[in-house]
Amino acid sequence: MALQPAAGARDLNPVQVGGNRRLRERLAEVYRLWGYEEVAPPSVERLDTLQAGGGIADQDVVRLAAEEPLGLRPEFTASIARAASTRMASRPRPLRLWAEGPTFRAFMGDAGGQRISEQLQSGVELLGVSTAAADVELIRLLLACTETIGLEPCHEPQLLVGHHGLLSALLQRLPDQHRTACRRALTGFDPLALAAIPLEQAEQAQLQALLRLRGAPARVLMELEQHLGASPLLTELATTLELVRPAAERLGVQLQLDPSFQPHFDLYDGIVLKLVCRGAAAPVDVASGGRYDALVGRFCTDAALAAGVGFAFSIEDIRELLSGNAGSKDTGRLVERPLLVAYGQPDGLAAALERLGGLHAQGRAAELHPEPIGSQREAEAVAFSRDSQGLEWLG
Amino acid sequence: MITVALAKGALLKDSVRCLAAAGLDFAALLDSDNRQLMVPSPCGTARALLVRNADVPVYVAYGQAQLGIVGEDVLREHQLPVAPLVDLGFGGCRMAVAVKASSGYRRAADLPAHCRVASKFVRCAETFFNQLDLPVELIHLTGSVELGPITGMSEAIVDLVATGRTLRDNGLVAIEDLFHSTARLIGHPLALRLDQGQLQTIIDRVAAARVEAR
Repeated sequence: MALQPAAGARDLNPVQVGGNRRLRERLAEVYRLWGYEEVAPPSVERLDTLQAGGGIADQDVVRLAAEEPLGLRPEFTASIARAASTRMASRPRPLRLWAEGPTFRAFMGDAGGQRISEQLQSGVELLGVSTAAADVELIRLLLACTETIGLEPCHEPQLLVGHHGLLSALLQRLPDQHRTACRRALTGFDPLALAAIPLEQAEQAQLQALLRLRGAPARVLMELEQHLGASPLLTELATTLELVRPAAERLGVQLQLDPSFQPHFDLYDGIVLKLVCRGAAAPVDVASGGRYDALVGRFCTDAALAAGVGFAFSIEDIRELLSGNAGSKDTGRLVERPLLVAYGQPDGLAAALERLGGLHAQGRAAELHPEPIGSQREAEAVAFSRDSQGLEWLG
Repeated sequence: MITVALAKGALLKDSVRCLAAAGLDFAALLDSDNRQLMVPSPCGTARALLVRNADVPVYVAYGQAQLGIVGEDVLREHQLPVAPLVDLGFGGCRMAVAVKASSGYRRAADLPAHCRVASKFVRCAETFFNQLDLPVELIHLTGSVELGPITGMSEAIVDLVATGRTLRDNGLVAIEDLFHSTARLIGHPLALRLDQGQLQTIIDRVAAARVEAR
């Protein structure tokens, strides 16, 4: 019999679970303050929902062996967009929802076999607002969350911002047959693949410059205006970023506008976001999100309501980031251990349970030593070995 | 601190030379007495990790190294999420199908369907034979793949060929190339997107030195 959990699945100890719970509760508190309501989307969905109309690649989804094509959710957005457009279709918009729980992604291991990655996520979805006001609210909420989870200046939080429409506008002037390859090379950060695409010299130089274009929003927007001319999209993006700038500055989150940035999942068709922190050894991807109007449109008949934005935090990555390393110091013990209730008489169990009940009634955590112990000294040794807060000895 | 993953072996000398052009001195790695696997540059702004060839993109993909230098053959075989930045031109070799000189096969399409092909690079081999629409049984070996045809375990091999001498000395002949491979400067995509100019300066200097060398 195997003694290890399936590769990629999580098997957490009490300290890790406690750390995750605290982060989830803090985030939930912020979501509630901003008027978001909790939903619990299913872990199992139909594959066509999970793949979000081609936004999520087939190989990213963990399939289930079932009669109909089912899989485990790789993220929440598609499930919540479906529920919002069906069971919650009659609820007034904007609809503000949040959810938390495990997500599952499949990937190909180096040995060629499928591997699974389980991640605990907590995130929000804001549905039914097609204007940039929703983008602003989403980023402001994301920034408010960074404060509550306890990110510090040493984590050097940076918010990468891209825009699907911006990239499309930049690629619009290229010959139709090369646009997909150019988009792939730009979003994949592949200057060599870009150089291999047979484009005019000026077009090639422009795309290579675009691949290097990122930084403070004001400067990048100015350069983009030179490429695209004045456009409503640039004005809208400039307004959005200007509205979130004061909060970002106050919280020490650096805004990095990157026109060629796109997240791993191709769900998004508007603004895209990724919050990244400096980890002990490598950048840590803390949260991701963006606008996904077309995805909502797949589930909803009323085009006016086909709008959605959202983000999700990776809880365990944040816990590991805040603990300073990958949890190697975790001993599996709760931080606050209960009192130990122990008794010496063979018939002392009833009195011990009575005492335990009394302590619980006072709101004090206490646990029972189930067998009689020979002496108080031995009971103290047991309490010490269990890291108990103290001993209630009944003799 | 910038971390660069470098491959032990044939690419190391040119990799160190190439980074020296960008102002990063890792000459200590070339010292035959050196046993350190992590070497700081004297300027104090960077360090090098000395790892096996196939591990370079792994360190870069996980973000432990922001940059790395490795052959394109390794990138094609391992398919990790790294950004290929500059074709460095050195370490040239070709990935080729080779058979026993006495076999009579003149091109890969001559191989019989369902024959055995031994290789260290099974993903490259699989892609190639899939494109040829030729079903083969791939055998993964970790070295001395030339022994596959010699012992009769396989009809052919897919392996890197630099001068061709090893093939000749073992009675084998290359019959078709899959691709030509040279060393690449690679980077961690997210680190590159968060870069405030430090990484780009190194990349630009390496690229400029490469152009000058041409």
